Amino acid sequence: MSSSLSLKAEFVKGIWKENPVMASLLGLCPTLAVTNAANNGLAMGLATTFVLLSSSLMISALRNFIPHQVRIAGYIVIIATFVTVADRFLAAYFPSISASLGPYIPLIVVNCLILGRQEAFSSKNGIGRSLLDSLGMGIGFILVLVVLGIIREILGSGSIFGMAVLGDWFTPWMVMILPPGAFLTLGILIALANWYNDPSRSKERRAVS
Amino acid sequence: MSKMNLSTRMILVLTLITVLSGGILAGWDTITKPKIAFHRQEALKAAIGDVLPAHDTYMSEETEFGTIYIATRDSSEQPVGIAFMAVGSGFQGELRIMVGLSPDMTQLTGIKVLEQIETPGLGTKIVVDPSNKQDPYWFPAQFKGVHVSPELVVVKNAKPTHTNEVQGITGATISSKAVTDILNKQIADIKTAWTSRGGPES
Amino acid sequence: MSYFLIFFSAAIVNNFVLSYFLGICPFVGVSKRVSSAVSMGMAVTFVMLITAVVTWLIYHLILVPFDIVILQYVSFILVIASLVQLVEMFIRKVSKSLYDTLGIFLPLITTNCAILGLALFSVLRDYSFMESVVFGLGAGAGFTLALVIMAGIREELELAPVPKYFQGAAITMIVAGGLALAFMGFAGMI
Repeated sequence: MSSSLSLKAEFVKGIWKENPVMASLLGLCPTLAVTNAANNGLAMGLATTFVLLSSSLMISALRNFIPHQVRIAGYIVIIATFVTVADRFLAAYFPSISASLGPYIPLIVVNCLILGRQEAFSSKNGIGRSLLDSLGMGIGFILVLVVLGIIREILGSGSIFGMAVLGDWFTPWMVMILPPGAFLTLGILIALANWYNDPSRSKERRAVS
Repeated sequence: MSKMNLSTRMILVLTLITVLSGGILAGWDTITKPKIAFHRQEALKAAIGDVLPAHDTYMSEETEFGTIYIATRDSSEQPVGIAFMAVGSGFQGELRIMVGLSPDMTQLTGIKVLEQIETPGLGTKIVVDPSNKQDPYWFPAQFKGVHVSPELVVVKNAKPTHTNEVQGITGATISSKAVTDILNKQIADIKTAWTSRGGPES
Repeated sequence: MSYFLIFFSAAIVNNFVLSYFLGICPFVGVSKRVSSAVSMGMAVTFVMLITAVVTWLIYHLILVPFDIVILQYVSFILVIASLVQLVEMFIRKVSKSLYDTLGIFLPLITTNCAILGLALFSVLRDYSFMESVVFGLGAGAGFTLALVIMAGIREELELAPVPKYFQGAAITMIVAGGLALAFMGFAGMI
């Protein structure tokens, strides 16, 4: 039942072609909620990737032992366990990040991205492939969160990763760090991705060059 | 495996996973718990330090209106101030404010808003005002030394003229008023609790 | 906070979907028809109400007394998953017509972050039993409201000349942004 893609393709697909957020609209809740600053987006992305990797490792290792009928129950226990590990780790070693992400860290449990990868990939593939797949998806997720965070932070607070980059002349667009800004920015990013991926456009481009 | 009955296998696997999960978490809990408790303690200590005058130590005491923290210094019994956590509705959600009072409970020694979800750029000035480059903490800072009787009053677009007045934030009057309303209500409660306890030890 | 404030805050001012981004997946997926949005909203509200009751009891009667709060997330999600299954079986037994309306939405609810979010927020804000119940009702009402408004707009959108690259998810996000902006107008009412 193993997938036919090469190992490299397995890793790369999550970054753009099958990007969890842009292509499959998975994990939108954290994507929108914590990207009011680039730092928060990065921390959230890393925490999610950690949970994704460790759950995939465990589930692909156990894939032949877990009976089909109870697999979802088994998966969510495993996922919730690693989410708790990540949550406590942040609370113990990075209390300020833990405070600013609040309940969105435990909400990784119900991030459809994680359960989705287990169901679609790790339950059918070996450990190596599953880890590569998860790493690619995780990086794809981090990228979207950080890009969204950077855009919203520059426009909404005039800074990147907490460092002021725009001078005093700039009046921050408060709406960008508020909920409406999250929806608008993601909407525009998705439209840009549609434009970039448009096959008719890339034909034109090839014809021109 | 195949010899085993399916439902036995289901129960066995799920039990194993749960036991494994419980084991991992129990171990992780013992490692992280003391650190988390330490951070919580430090945060509380820092907040109390911010709102009360210099002190060496404080002790917490449960009252019917919540916990109060009584700060002392130079191994004297005489408190230098009393702090407590005030909680109430702000503009958009709950505000949690650490409040410091002088031992006679007539003046504030400082306030610090610890949790809020006010409007960024307007209501959040109750914590810090980045648009005021000289004095970003002007709003919370002005509570120091303000008299609490008869009650705290917000004045709009003007400098305070009485000892019980503070200046409101332009564009966030409701957030400013929310802070004083919460303080007025809860300082009264804490006063009651303090007097029923035997009053200031003087 | 009084019960009314908790309800009003969860339903309108700090709407679960539009300001906490909880339950976005069904919001994007199911909000294409008003009728199915209403059914989904009802199913979610129902599960939320039960979740609020059960998770409160588990947290305050088991996790805290036995000092095993670390199992909070594992136990909450297991309880939610089993609850959804039970509700599904119950509805199927009791009413065929209700099952036909709500049935297909129930399996989706397990991974709806609004449900787990409700349980987590209720613990975080230290709600009493009655407060959690009211919070659950308010959150359900807020979710239904957002979903139904969105479905109404999307039914109209099908006739609108949306630019090519904005069709689908992109325009949904932008409309949701407009809605979130509108809901911000309720701030200050609590």
